[in-house]
Amino acid sequence: MSRKFKESSYYQKGNTNYYLLPFKFHKINDLTEVLVNEVGEYLFVDNGTANRIINREIEFESNLYKDLISNFFISEKPIPDLIDIISNKYRSKKSFINEFTSLHIFVVSLRCDHTCHYCQVSRVSEDQNKYDMSKSDIDIAISHMLRSKSDHVTMEFQGGEPLLAFDKIKYGVDKAKELNKKYNKEITFVICTNLVSVTKEILNFCKEHNILISTSYDGPQYIHDKNRLYTKGSSHKKVLKGIDLSRKILGHDRVSALMTTTNLTLDYPLEIIDDYYKNGFRNIFLRPISPYGFALKSPKKNKYVTEKFLEFYKKGLMHIIDMNKKGIYFSEDYATIILKKILTPFPVGYVDLQSPAGAINSVIVYNYDGYVYATDESRMLAETGDYSFRLGHLKKNSYDEIFFGKNASKFAYSFANESLPGCSECGLQAYCGADPVFHHASQGDVIGHRPSSGYCQKNMEIIRFILELISKEEYDTIFRSWVYKTSFSEKN
Amino acid sequence: MLTFTEKKNSLLIDIPLSDYSIDVIYKCFYWYTGDYDVEVSKESNHTAIEIITRSNEKIDFDYLKSKIKSDLIDFKTRDIISKETKNVRDLIIAKAFSDSDEFNSEPPGEISDPVGFKIKNK
Repeated sequence: MSRKFKESSYYQKGNTNYYLLPFKFHKINDLTEVLVNEVGEYLFVDNGTANRIINREIEFESNLYKDLISNFFISEKPIPDLIDIISNKYRSKKSFINEFTSLHIFVVSLRCDHTCHYCQVSRVSEDQNKYDMSKSDIDIAISHMLRSKSDHVTMEFQGGEPLLAFDKIKYGVDKAKELNKKYNKEITFVICTNLVSVTKEILNFCKEHNILISTSYDGPQYIHDKNRLYTKGSSHKKVLKGIDLSRKILGHDRVSALMTTTNLTLDYPLEIIDDYYKNGFRNIFLRPISPYGFALKSPKKNKYVTEKFLEFYKKGLMHIIDMNKKGIYFSEDYATIILKKILTPFPVGYVDLQSPAGAINSVIVYNYDGYVYATDESRMLAETGDYSFRLGHLKKNSYDEIFFGKNASKFAYSFANESLPGCSECGLQAYCGADPVFHHASQGDVIGHRPSSGYCQKNMEIIRFILELISKEEYDTIFRSWVYKTSFSEKN
Repeated sequence: MLTFTEKKNSLLIDIPLSDYSIDVIYKCFYWYTGDYDVEVSKESNHTAIEIITRSNEKIDFDYLKSKIKSDLIDFKTRDIISKETKNVRDLIIAKAFSDSDEFNSEPPGEISDPVGFKIKNK
């Protein structure tokens, strides 16, 4: 198959009568701006280039002209010949929409043996009937999960501390497998646990059913034990023992850890990262500080906390990059998520950075009492008396009423960052998302006010910072090793 | 041409509508509402914007004027891109989410088969 070249006169005419294709731009520093096209492909150029493009000042003979044509920023025809390629790329980027609700969180118990000060939901109680999910609710939730359009769903058990209701986890896993015979979906099982009450018997069950363990680990003992108050001693010692046992029975890679960022954490980025590495982890998620435990509607305090987090994050990320430079493979998860969005044509299944928003579209939460919420944060809000994101009840409402009913419709208009004020023309839009729950919680409005939004302040700066690093080619190999999960040190 | 007037706690900017549309002005000064109070008065052929400080901190007028000039050009550029590319953007998205052949078209150009794959033109 071949295509003919145009006549030579065509290439000599010095034509600057090109047409614009949709793209956005953002200054990443004093010298450079990034152009981002409709499907998230980028080009680093000198500041002011976007303005030169619209004024038709790009010379036909220049390399920039060729880059702009080949990367779909401009076209020589009003409708480019390869428009179907652009559309297919757009379809790929948004393909997570076809996987409607792939993450199903089952809060099997609200009971917990910790009293962490940042947790608004758990209860130290022995009352199983009051705070554990009923088997009949688990049945209905599983049937909702199996109605998902996605061929691959994740059934995640959360709490409180879900291992305190291990009988409910066993019941849920067995039931899901039984009902799934009809649907034949691929189900990933995850238990989010503090590992304090883990036993060999529990882990043998996990091994038999290929269940992943996700634990909470906040780093060195002087941070972990201050953040995570355990009623019967040191949580830090218990969790490390639990991690060790889990790795022995399930395998090293079947156990992951999540850190919760607190005010105390912000002073120790390097110590936490080094501690993670020392304890056998090869990645860390430097998670943004949650606004749910702070003075939510204080813009000044939120701005200060976000500024401190950004300082913590950048310091931590550069430390991790330095480790990689020395040949130690270690990755940062938030950067990896953003890098996947920037460097690959595929969508990323991270609910906080999606447009349309992850709420309902990607995640749903079945609470211990049968109520269903749009996100994990939504049920935290409910514990403070705010039921804005309660979608219905497993026994009182049908699947359609919960997922597509009036409660869900009430905030669906805020799902797409393509149509949000401030986001609609933002150059970083393709790499960011919409978070109506965060904006409702922090600003009292699902749309939110972008100039004072902690979400916007944080994500714009982190994405800008990562783009700036990408523009310096020295980090390219490291970043690609994180995206494709190949060891930089092994390759070099 | 932009005209700036410095006041004790605010900066007044007069913007001719022949240079910047009201859409561009709103989109640009929206981003100033995080740190300042912004008042907009639209007249027939110009718009007066007053940026008022919320704290007792002195306004850095030189920095603010330079930033406003740069931001207005950026937002005008964005507006031009957005308006000039609206139709093609709609088409890209319609094609992306179309499950039928409604928006599909044959690839352009003549297809020959020098290697002999026996590709048939429809």
